[in-house]
Amino acid sequence: MPPRRAHTFIIAAAILSLSGAVGHAANPALQFNRDIRAILSENCFACHGFDAKKRKADLRLDTAEGAYTAIKDEFPIKPGDLAKSTVWQRIMTTDEDELMPPAESHKKLTVAQKDTLKRWIEQGAPYQKHWAFEAPLKPKAANSIDAWLALRLASENQKPAPEADRSTLIRRVSFTVTGLPPTLAEVDTFIADTSPQAYEAMVDRYMKSPRYGEEMARHWLDVARYADTHGLHLDNERSMWAYRDWVVRAFNDNLPFDQFTVWQLAGDLLPNATPDQITATGFSRCNVTTSEGGAIDDEYRHLYAVDRASTLTQAWLGLTGGCAQCHDHKFDPITTKEFYSLYAFFYSSADPPMDGNIANTMPVMKLPLGQQQQALDTAIKAEAMARAALDAAAAKGKPNLEARSTSGETTIEDVLFDDTFPLGIEVKNTSRNPSVWDDKPSYGAKSGHRTLRLSNGHYCDESIDFALKPITLAKQPKLSIWARLDPLSPPRAIAIALNGRRFYWGAEGVMDGPQLGSASGQIHSGPLPKLGEWTLLSVDPTALGFKPGTAINKVSMQQIGGSVSWDKCSLTGTPMADNAPLMPFEQWWKSTNKKASPDLLAALADTFKAGPDAVKDEVKRKALSDFYIAVIARPFTPEIAQLRSAWEAARATRQAAESAITSTFVFKDMTTPRDTFIAERGQYTKLGDKVEPSVPTAFSPFIKAKPDARATRLDLAHWLVSAQQPLTARVTVNRYWQQIFGIGLAKTSHDLGSQGEPPSHPELLDWLAVTFRESGWNVRQLIRSMVTSAAYKQQSIITPEALAQDQDNRLLARGPRLRLDAEQIRDNALFVSGLINLEVGGRGALTYQPPNIWEPVGYENSNTRYYLQQHGPALYRRSLYTFLKRTAPPPFMSNFDAPNREQSCTRRERSNTPMQALQLMNDVQHFEAARALAERVLGEAKKEDSSRLAWLFRTVLARSPDARETTLLLEALAKQRQLYQADPAAANQAIHTGESQPKDIAPAPETAAWTMLANLVLNLDETVTRN
Amino acid sequence: MSPEHHFDLLQTRRQFFGQTGLRLGGLGLTYAMGADAFAAPSAQQVHPPLPGLPHFAAKAKAVIYLHMNGGPSQLDTWDYKPGLQQWFNKDIPPSVQGGQRLTGMTSKQARFPVAPSLFKFAQHGQCGRWVSELLPHTAKHVDDIALVKTIHTNAINHDPACTYVMTGREVPGYASIGSWLSYGLGSPSNDLPSFVVLTPNWKAKAAAQALFTRMWSSGFLPGKFSGVALRAVGDPVLYLKNPDGVSATQRRAMLDTLNQLNEHSFQKFGDPEIQTRISQYEMAFRMQTSLPELVDLKQESQATLDMYGPDVTKPGTFAASALLARRLIERGTRVVQLLHRGWDQHNNLPGDHRLQCQDTDQPIGALLSDLKQRGLLDSTLVVWGGEFGRTAYSQGTLTETNYGRDHHPRNFCMWMAGGGVKGGTSYGESDDFSYNIATDPAHLNDFNATILKLCGIDHERLSYKFQGLDARLTGVEKQHVIKEMLA
Repeated sequence: MPPRRAHTFIIAAAILSLSGAVGHAANPALQFNRDIRAILSENCFACHGFDAKKRKADLRLDTAEGAYTAIKDEFPIKPGDLAKSTVWQRIMTTDEDELMPPAESHKKLTVAQKDTLKRWIEQGAPYQKHWAFEAPLKPKAANSIDAWLALRLASENQKPAPEADRSTLIRRVSFTVTGLPPTLAEVDTFIADTSPQAYEAMVDRYMKSPRYGEEMARHWLDVARYADTHGLHLDNERSMWAYRDWVVRAFNDNLPFDQFTVWQLAGDLLPNATPDQITATGFSRCNVTTSEGGAIDDEYRHLYAVDRASTLTQAWLGLTGGCAQCHDHKFDPITTKEFYSLYAFFYSSADPPMDGNIANTMPVMKLPLGQQQQALDTAIKAEAMARAALDAAAAKGKPNLEARSTSGETTIEDVLFDDTFPLGIEVKNTSRNPSVWDDKPSYGAKSGHRTLRLSNGHYCDESIDFALKPITLAKQPKLSIWARLDPLSPPRAIAIALNGRRFYWGAEGVMDGPQLGSASGQIHSGPLPKLGEWTLLSVDPTALGFKPGTAINKVSMQQIGGSVSWDKCSLTGTPMADNAPLMPFEQWWKSTNKKASPDLLAALADTFKAGPDAVKDEVKRKALSDFYIAVIARPFTPEIAQLRSAWEAARATRQAAESAITSTFVFKDMTTPRDTFIAERGQYTKLGDKVEPSVPTAFSPFIKAKPDARATRLDLAHWLVSAQQPLTARVTVNRYWQQIFGIGLAKTSHDLGSQGEPPSHPELLDWLAVTFRESGWNVRQLIRSMVTSAAYKQQSIITPEALAQDQDNRLLARGPRLRLDAEQIRDNALFVSGLINLEVGGRGALTYQPPNIWEPVGYENSNTRYYLQQHGPALYRRSLYTFLKRTAPPPFMSNFDAPNREQSCTRRERSNTPMQALQLMNDVQHFEAARALAERVLGEAKKEDSSRLAWLFRTVLARSPDARETTLLLEALAKQRQLYQADPAAANQAIHTGESQPKDIAPAPETAAWTMLANLVLNLDETVTRN
Repeated sequence: MSPEHHFDLLQTRRQFFGQTGLRLGGLGLTYAMGADAFAAPSAQQVHPPLPGLPHFAAKAKAVIYLHMNGGPSQLDTWDYKPGLQQWFNKDIPPSVQGGQRLTGMTSKQARFPVAPSLFKFAQHGQCGRWVSELLPHTAKHVDDIALVKTIHTNAINHDPACTYVMTGREVPGYASIGSWLSYGLGSPSNDLPSFVVLTPNWKAKAAAQALFTRMWSSGFLPGKFSGVALRAVGDPVLYLKNPDGVSATQRRAMLDTLNQLNEHSFQKFGDPEIQTRISQYEMAFRMQTSLPELVDLKQESQATLDMYGPDVTKPGTFAASALLARRLIERGTRVVQLLHRGWDQHNNLPGDHRLQCQDTDQPIGALLSDLKQRGLLDSTLVVWGGEFGRTAYSQGTLTETNYGRDHHPRNFCMWMAGGGVKGGTSYGESDDFSYNIATDPAHLNDFNATILKLCGIDHERLSYKFQGLDARLTGVEKQHVIKEMLA
């Protein structure tokens, strides 16, 4: 027989002290967890609790033993005897020196709290273990969400509200489950469905939608602190969106929550780990990282492990473990040693303390999709074969390496780059926002199949240093390059420079200025080329003072802002006698100054670096000269020319195949673990005792797969989801309850410890937790059980009695009514307007953003300093997929309380501000959506104003307007119509907000009037509310 | 809904509309009250104070916090060390350096040659404060300034130090000082945000360090206490302007219907959040008028504009921002923060610090004069400082005319002026190398506790439940108000 649970809840005798939410009824039967713990925790435990170091007078009041044991013949608490209970005497004393809690603590017991404590001591001062720290057993008094809620409601003499109407229900379910509103057709179907299973069928339709995973993922990504930048200092882009996409997939695949846990914490340690299991370990790489110049490795190694351990503690254990970073937890049974034992699981991670400001800070995993790996393998082979053929041709020929002339050639062409950068060059970009090779762009490459795209919000310079391949100017030289200016992101100026002197296009003088590079000479060469077309820019280098024969060691592409594609850059002319790279082999060798390029074959590197004077071995000299003939010198023979270009093409193809494959941050351990120590008072410079990886033992036994070996993250993950572990299941169901009903059964969803608020329905929470675990941690089933409950389906009308008795709706005597989240608000506007792009996954989308969000804060050299908005379908992606820069998150998100993902967040605020009003009225994203919605009204509804109005209203709110609403809206329409008819120019401006074009279904004033009406409806409180 | 309840709610609503003077289409003219904008807090406030706050009467009603981001050199501005001239290019004695933690940028340097300041110092004011020639305008106000020369902080690099100076913690997630003040004290303006942030541009050539929105975010406090960025590019406040082709008349018409429909919805659902939303839309509309008026500097007299210097007419400059700060607090905004970037001179410090001071010195002097002339300085606390100071030794090559300095968190200078501050004082002394504290240390948290004190807040009693603790701006350790700075 299981032991009787200490905190069995006696429903009939329940008194509730839920933050004043529910009225008190006189009842003498007090319970420690319900009535006493919060009072003691708030007022006493800081000095008389779990933390032995801070404990005063050797007194602890968090255990019965501590409270009952006499100290110097005085009993802190003598059960049943107020007079002999020192605690009580000290609470009631009038002597200020004696008073508890002391004045300097700024804590004060209320009269009601004192009374409660008094009665508790009189009743024998019974203690209970903290409710959340014992494994939940399935309570038997009820067997469904509604039955549990009903028991509680009955005890409060309250009744549930009637079921909401179908329009309300479908919109509520659709937002809850998919984050989007229902379509009109879906509303009609549901309303017309007379079967008794209509509601469940509707729920199931939404739960099967791929949008379900997106909505669920959004909440978890707050917990996981996922974002698209590193977060500290430069806050450069990082590549781990594959993790975000995996989370979406995991929910859509209904991955059981225990596996969801194991994969994220230790997927890499599973036998034959799959790419998904390894991708999932990105969870522990989501923390913010730095690469600040002066940052100290030890400090950040420590901080990352603290973050990872605290996030785990909060996400699975629902405890504020971070406190124990500095001292034994004052309130919950986590010692500093135990915290650092958890930390030890992460302290030996393989990732470096400095992220390097790169997108792919090791360890990362390449994630080839579809045929990508095969394509790459093929390309690697093809490149190797092409190179072998070229090398063979170079080796067999015996050209006169000392020859100086190129008799017979009238013009020569040196290609500086085309589909790839040439071998042995170094590319530098002033903005750390490197160029991107576009393979087969939609507008076509001008030469070959790849083009080089440079994008920036400000001045940038991309320079190619020809370290290995010196080029000298020919006679009558000409520098040519193709450029195509993106019409949607035009630059202010573009330039091409040789050795730092430039030709530029744009307004004359636009390149003058201190922050526009330091050109040692420049010539204004004309206005900007026509946007959206390939233009050949062709200039004469002698105009900038270059003489034929000048060595060209650097070519640069420059631009001020915008996006430009560049293609095939070459120098042509008639050759001079010593025109490199026909320079003699020995001369070339000397001229390179022994600087080995990473592209140089390793086998040749030593020969190369030694220089021609030092290397006498003919075999070695021959090998290097063969290399020179094959890839450096201008082709000696037509055969080499042909093989060289075949190899260049193969190389470009391989590079394209390589860069097409994304990579994602993953978590790995070092081969040899790092010794881990307690950081005294949280200071990494003050190391205390050495610790081994382990877990807080107060909760449940820790069973390692190999008892004698060092504990692994896999042991940790298995412990978290073991049946005896009391917290994970409770914390998880509580968080889902919060997601569905707006507020957790335990309101403090991040803290189920003794400082957290006790749950409103402890038995329901336990019942749900056990049911969830017994279901095989079936998340979809859990969510379904909540959204099909009668509680969820109630009307959300707030009666005056309800407002007075239960403002926060903790008892669920009415349905949940919540403001939509940031993502839902934007997605709703996009969805009802028909603009939405439901493409799944991929790199974060750069949607509309007001100017100057990134720029005023970003480090000058950060690659997320300048916001470069995308265009076309990317603007209408779901909010989940928008690019999230941590130090300056998208305002549409933060404005509506989305966290900046700098640390784990388990619960969002729901604020109500004027900034939100301004956004919903004026943001281009929302006003454009209003226009598109207006045109849907004009195109899809019947022609009468009232029909159109009803259609608009139903599309947004899933219900028809009532008489008053119709009247008000018709008046509003008439007014806007009148104003726009009087000012057609304004109407025309209004309907051209945003990048999508109006469809001209109606004359501009009519469309504009309906746009204002759509804007009005999209701003309704009911629209931004899950009603 | 019962008729009685509905009546009550309507009453509440009528009171709201009636008493707050919900000005349909009207101008928000709180500032017409001038210095009295803070005088009469009432139940009508959109941003009410917390109950029981301020804890005690205080002179400072508003705060203008001038943050010099990157770390200004105390040696070249406020901490005069004439003795260092003899130490030019000699290594800083190991006894002074004392094995202190260095950043990764100079910890591997072979030498630590002392770089005496290239700038001349002179004594100013009745108090005879030594001030560098870089700050001629600020120097005129030394008798109103309380200087601290021994501020020290926990962090040695920018990201954590910036986070620390504003939130009292090195790691993200905590509430900024501006949001604490806004949370505790609210603000008397119903037309403007209670906490406004400006990020002016800068002149130094070196790559400027980053700012982080966490420096003005509300952290764990409710989001409405976050600083609102007042922007020089685009709308002064995000999304303020109606889309092209939408007139104020049209917006007003739309809002009238919106309010009626929301009111209708309120009658149906009884959710008090609907009422709040109605009032927020009205405030948004008022902001559409009050903000363009606020940022229109043409209303200022030529004399005032001249005082702030030639940059004042260029939007986004420090000068323009300083003047906007005055206009904001005049209209009832509680906290204004200017975060000026570009002070991180690891090399070429003399040249770049000169440029940075050209940006800021004259406007700061003008701001102090301007506040004083308008009788606002007594009720406005002006704060100046960076996230740390800089080393006495040169980073990189030291020459007769040039040097750089690395980060130095162990002692640096900050100052306050105005509301409740004891002008002409100086607290604490560094050692001869400005490398260690000689007397009277002041931790950054002490300094922040002092700011709160001057605003009428006991820093130990302004707390918010976060992760099971009563989180405070000044952290868990015991902190001390710097009493010597108080008038």
